[in-house]
Amino acid sequence: MNVAEFRADLRRWLDTNDLSPGLDDSLDAQVAQLARVRRALYGAGWMRYGWPAGVRGLGGPAVLRAVLGEEVATRGLAEPGIYSMVEVLAPTMISYARPELAAEMVPRLLGGREQWCQGFSEPGSGSDLASLTTRAVPRDDGDWVVTGQKVWTSLAQYAARCVLLTRTAPGHAGITAFFVDMDTPGITVRPLRTMHGVDEFAEVFLDEVVVPGDRMLGRPGDGWQLAMDLLPHERSTCFWHRIAHLYTRLDHLLEQTPAPDSARDDDALGAAFLALHTVRCRSHATQRRLAEGGRLGPETSVDKILLATAEQQLFDTVRDLLPGVLELTETPWRSEYLYSRAATIYGGTAEIQRNIVARRLLDLGRE
Amino acid sequence: MDATERDLLADTLRKTMATATGPALDSALTELGWADLLAEAPEVAVPLVFRLLGETGAHASLLNDVVLHEAGRPLEGALPLPYTGGSWVVWGRGVDAPPGASLDGELPLLISPAGEPVPLGAGRRALGWWLLGTGRAMLALARTHVLARTQFGRPLASFQAVRHRLAETLVALDGAEATLAAAEDDLGALLAKAAAGQAALTAARHCQQVLGGIGFTAEHDLHQHVRRALVLDGLLGSARELTREAGALVREGRSAPRLVQL
Ligand SMILES: Cc1cc2nc3c(=O)[nH]c(=O)nc-3n(C[C@H](O)[C@H](O)[C@H](O)COP(=O)(O)OP(=O)(O)OC[C@H]3O[C@@H](n4cnc5c(N)ncnc54)[C@H](O)[C@@H]3O)c2cc1C
Repeated sequence: MNVAEFRADLRRWLDTNDLSPGLDDSLDAQVAQLARVRRALYGAGWMRYGWPAGVRGLGGPAVLRAVLGEEVATRGLAEPGIYSMVEVLAPTMISYARPELAAEMVPRLLGGREQWCQGFSEPGSGSDLASLTTRAVPRDDGDWVVTGQKVWTSLAQYAARCVLLTRTAPGHAGITAFFVDMDTPGITVRPLRTMHGVDEFAEVFLDEVVVPGDRMLGRPGDGWQLAMDLLPHERSTCFWHRIAHLYTRLDHLLEQTPAPDSARDDDALGAAFLALHTVRCRSHATQRRLAEGGRLGPETSVDKILLATAEQQLFDTVRDLLPGVLELTETPWRSEYLYSRAATIYGGTAEIQRNIVARRLLDLGRE
Repeated sequence: MDATERDLLADTLRKTMATATGPALDSALTELGWADLLAEAPEVAVPLVFRLLGETGAHASLLNDVVLHEAGRPLEGALPLPYTGGSWVVWGRGVDAPPGASLDGELPLLISPAGEPVPLGAGRRALGWWLLGTGRAMLALARTHVLARTQFGRPLASFQAVRHRLAETLVALDGAEATLAAAEDDLGALLAKAAAGQAALTAARHCQQVLGGIGFTAEHDLHQHVRRALVLDGLLGSARELTREAGALVREGRSAPRLVQL
């Protein structure tokens, strides 16, 4: 199916199948709405395009998923951050899980029957992910016993499964990934309060958690490569969704902005628009490269920096052009503004991205 | 034009620009068939030629041709072009730069009385590619320098503050290049010129800083590129003016156009 056709058919379907969220904007309601949207889109087939037949997808290029996510974001049907999580979780399963496991599990995620989470970061290992210490020890019967702690795990409190990174030997080559059922004895989830009031992430404690050997993703030591292989997915489809969402926020600001006080307001609006346009053009080129069979690598750190910068600039502009609004009124802008502060932290911090650009793209040697 | 032909052309152009600039380069490019290229394959010729002007530091009066071509007029003479701040300039043909006329002493730019309105999209795209090339030239100079020079017993390139300035520069240039490659209509051209102007100025600031004292001397090539970036940024609208114009446009339209689609 070609992209234009897919988009036109999808739009027609969405026009007649109202999936608008209700008024409740609590996280519980957001997660429930996400499940509702996925179920409906999966049932009608839209959510299955761009995924391989091995996980009951309907095939077609991955860019169809970007088009779907753009429609979902543009219509405000689901919170875009949590909507896009499938874009990293499902491809990981497809590349690393046993085919039968992927075939069994991925449809549950795409179809909105389950939420999953990604347990990478630990209290002592954020940017320096490779230093993680959650241990997995093999037993004689082939199962593994996992003990340690994860932190800032988005949606852990709702998740049925977790893609978990553990240590099985020293160094980068000693990191091993598992697909863990969150209801396994020994797992405790403690939600964390976030500064923007949407408590989307949690701490996850693992105390002698037994994980069957056939839940290993890839082979022992493949975990680091698995983490690296996520990036192309995050930085193509997910970014496109987020950019679409940010355009809706800019439109919303434009609807609310009174006649400008001064040309400086136009400067700010123009700069916010230009930054968004720039990352949209860049992301467009990245996806075209992917579609032509190119491998994505460290150059996607450029996309990441442009996106995080554009996001924060947009919400800084909101604060400047609607003076007092987010400080003094209870408006969604407040939470959105605060959430934008995390854009330079999650997914690899702004500094780590610049380190990668310097080392890998500019070839400046070691620090 | 296929990829091999394009590479060949790029090679020839680069060599030509390494040995000739100004009126001599104008003549050399005429001989190479610039007018036909512009007529037959502007989407290849303009990015290639203008970007190489930036990278090599050469200059020629080709902007006149690009604007005349878009206006559907014969490629002759020089026409008044809008400059930032409400000024107009003429890019002289076949003449050397009058001393002191512009901050970039090599460019034959002269202030002129206001001219007729001219279409600006193609000219802005061309200047955007030029600014991008100028920015890349500065980044290449800075990169070479920080790898070669040591202080405190280490190469400058090993200091994170230095690395991050150059990373910032590359991000700005790559972002601008994406907007140029996607610039199809007038708004796309306006945004791309703004992004390229801003990126070149970002490159100027960071590259100048990491070059230290040597970058402030007339012996080092950097200053020539810095001057070029400053002067070209103002031509057909500066990054600042164009950004403001884009802001007014989306404010009045109450919506931000999504110019590129999957
Ligand atoms: C909203 C949100 C959602 C998240 N969701 C998840 C999730 O679902 N799963 C998951 O596993 N993790 C998640 N994270 C965690 C995220 O990946 C980490 O926060 C991130 O990797 C940074 O690690 P850290 O917080 O330990 O900061 P640190 O690594 O301690 O960094 C602190 C500061 O020091 C700087 N710094 C560190 N090292 C260097 C260096 N070498 N050079 C220069 N500066 C440096 C950083 O840039 C940063 O400014 C989430 C985080 C947030 C904010």
